[in-house]
Amino acid sequence: MINKNEQISPFLVFFLVLKVQIGVGVLGFQRLIIKSAGNDAWIAVIAAGLLFSIVIWCMFTLLNSQKQDLMGIHTQLFGKVLGGFLNMIWITYWLLMGIAVYRAYVEVVQAWMFPQINVMTFSIVFALLIYYTVSGGFQVLTGICFLGVIIPSYLILTIFFPLEYTEFRNLLPVWNHSYKEIALATRDMSLSYMGFSTLLMFYPLIKHQKKANKWAQLANILSILSYLLLTIVSIGFYSENQISRYVWATLSFWSIVEVPFIERFEYIGIATWVIFILPNICLFIWAATKGTSVLFKVEPNRISILFLVILIVMSLALKDRETVNTFQDYMSYVGFILYTVYIPILLCLSYIMSKIRKKTHEN
Amino acid sequence: MKKFPFQKSNHSLAPQFDEVIQQLKESKDFTIFMFGIEHDTLCISYFNTLIDTDILHRDLLPYLNKSSSTLEAAVSALPIENLLFTQKPADMQKHLLTGYISITMEGKKDQAVLVKADSQKSRTVSLPEVEFSVIGPKESLVESLDTNLNLIRKRLPIQELKVEELTVGKLSKSRVAVLHIDGICNKKNVSTVIQRISNLDVKQIIDSSYISQMIVDKKNTPFPQFIDTERPDRLAAVLGEGKLVILVDGAPHGLLGPATLVEFFTASEDYFLNWTMASFFRLVRFFAVLFSILITPIYVAILTYHYELLPKNLINTLVISRSGIPFPPILEALVLELVIELLREAGARLPTKVGQTIGIVGGIVIGTASVEAGLTSNVLLIIVALSALASFTTPVYQMGNTIRLIRFPFLLMAYYIGILGVAISFCFMLIHLLRITTLGRPYLEPLYPPKLHSLKDSLIRLPFSLLSKRPAPKQKD
Repeated sequence: MINKNEQISPFLVFFLVLKVQIGVGVLGFQRLIIKSAGNDAWIAVIAAGLLFSIVIWCMFTLLNSQKQDLMGIHTQLFGKVLGGFLNMIWITYWLLMGIAVYRAYVEVVQAWMFPQINVMTFSIVFALLIYYTVSGGFQVLTGICFLGVIIPSYLILTIFFPLEYTEFRNLLPVWNHSYKEIALATRDMSLSYMGFSTLLMFYPLIKHQKKANKWAQLANILSILSYLLLTIVSIGFYSENQISRYVWATLSFWSIVEVPFIERFEYIGIATWVIFILPNICLFIWAATKGTSVLFKVEPNRISILFLVILIVMSLALKDRETVNTFQDYMSYVGFILYTVYIPILLCLSYIMSKIRKKTHEN
Repeated sequence: MKKFPFQKSNHSLAPQFDEVIQQLKESKDFTIFMFGIEHDTLCISYFNTLIDTDILHRDLLPYLNKSSSTLEAAVSALPIENLLFTQKPADMQKHLLTGYISITMEGKKDQAVLVKADSQKSRTVSLPEVEFSVIGPKESLVESLDTNLNLIRKRLPIQELKVEELTVGKLSKSRVAVLHIDGICNKKNVSTVIQRISNLDVKQIIDSSYISQMIVDKKNTPFPQFIDTERPDRLAAVLGEGKLVILVDGAPHGLLGPATLVEFFTASEDYFLNWTMASFFRLVRFFAVLFSILITPIYVAILTYHYELLPKNLINTLVISRSGIPFPPILEALVLELVIELLREAGARLPTKVGQTIGIVGGIVIGTASVEAGLTSNVLLIIVALSALASFTTPVYQMGNTIRLIRFPFLLMAYYIGILGVAISFCFMLIHLLRITTLGRPYLEPLYPPKLHSLKDSLIRLPFSLLSKRPAPKQKD
């Protein structure tokens, strides 16, 4: 059914999951969680990470038992009409996620580098890039995910620059916030971990699917560790008041990076972020495209052109920071429900259905 | 002829032998003469420009039995191996055109003997000029396929080294040899290459580069997919790694493939030096290539949009060097890049001695003059010259050309959206590289898909004791 050459080895799932988990959110996730959980924000980071570890486990249990992608599971469990409707929801979610990530990046560029950038032309160039990637197939997509982790990984070294000014006593006293505050921060943090739902689409393209869970979990652990590191340094580096004014706390770290021949390192960082963000957007667009082309039996390349036109239009329509923010809040809310409520329910349903089917089969 | 096995009468073929000879006789350099005393005269014909007349005089004429009544008897005493007896005129024509002497017997024109006597005029094996290395073997391929095969076989005296030969080109009838080592090389690759070569429908194959352009997986890319080398030692080395080699008669370069991107940055010298030095030089090469592609676009991006990226002292230098220059950075950079290309092109077309003059005129006179005239900034001049220099570090000539070409889209994008444009172009390049395959294998291997054991000999080269595994693993097919 699926060409063996198109399949990827399971350890590449590590990069696919890591890539979507660490995206544009890294640049400024600190403000939200520190706002509600203060110096205990790091607990929220771990809590949210563990929560998503369970979600990943749920996904793999579901996929391993069904041996097909989400589209197939929906149609099998709910029939063509209802299943198709649910598929539409997920496709829309992926498309909008792609747009949200892209728009967030444009926002960063506008705020830090190019206030006057022509969003239209930039979007067209970027859309061409996305099209070139997505039309190359899943192998190319995995490749850019892999390189998208490896090439920008040098940026992790920049964490040493703020360390000099970090006051780790800011972390104390531990646990001086209520459960509610930490839970709120956990919910806000979860937006950063989201994105690996594309796994539901590329699962059939993994070679030894049973082994992939391990790699996905490892990727999740690595994202927890990187977010944790950033959160702890942020708590130590900024005061609580200060960070509430910094929308992109990670980017502000880069402002203090000093290299003899570079004055404003954040420019380099933001440019490198193109390679970082591209696979992220491409994965969402790819998942949406694949879903639609299976659902309506249309050629995928045409769908992706349509989606990219939507991407350009939407990124123009989301004009100012306010609308972008509201849009992202909605997306994170929907995403939170999809991941933590929808997936477990789907897992239960699939379990019950398979039991019933077994019984009817035995009878 | 094989199509009509029932056509048994040899007599009906006899006039065709004459016909062939009549046709060939229209060329001035075709010689035909009778040889013998009595009625059974031997008729000897050949192209005197194709054969070695020494062989004719020394080994052929003295040993012909003039008085025998059959052709077999007449040539039985020849001290030459491999006499071809043929009854097919087409066969005779083909061989005559490749340096054989044909002997027929007057009155019994149903059979001809073909004696190989082609003159082996070719260059002697000399020093490699394109891929010179200070240490290591100093032989390079020549235009003769047989000499080249000899050079390679000498280094691999094993029976597993197989040579398959094909003839390509309606006019040139070039001999193309595909070499591989049985048991190491992927059989599928061999059959793919042979299939693609034999499917070629062309008039002439002048050089091996014709073949390499025609049989690649992806034709619309500036990136070469076969390594073109003139070093037989390199060819022998990669044969052992499971690659295949294509040699073309008349071409002093062999092709080796499937070649991945990293291999275009490996020089044979990397293996002659100690691994620490080899790794260092290889890293220098990769850095040079990245530098060469990115530095001018970054200059344009910074000077067009992001002055603030540079520290105060550095920006001072830049501003001073650019003050009074009437052109925007992009125009300045494009013009200078084109000037470098111009110099390179002019240098490549001119004979060596004049070429040196061009170097001096171009490099020193034009450069200094344009800076003094205030047309270009001297910082950019340094940058452009350095990036041109860096592009020449690639051990494979074609890759150097590629690197010089792909910086132009980078430049335009840098002008368009600054440093983001450079990043986006870089992504385009990465995705382009990811999409290329060479003989069905990913071009970026072993970087992606990551192959740990091949990484030992990619960006760096680890000592031989760690390289015991072959980089290209045998595929089960």
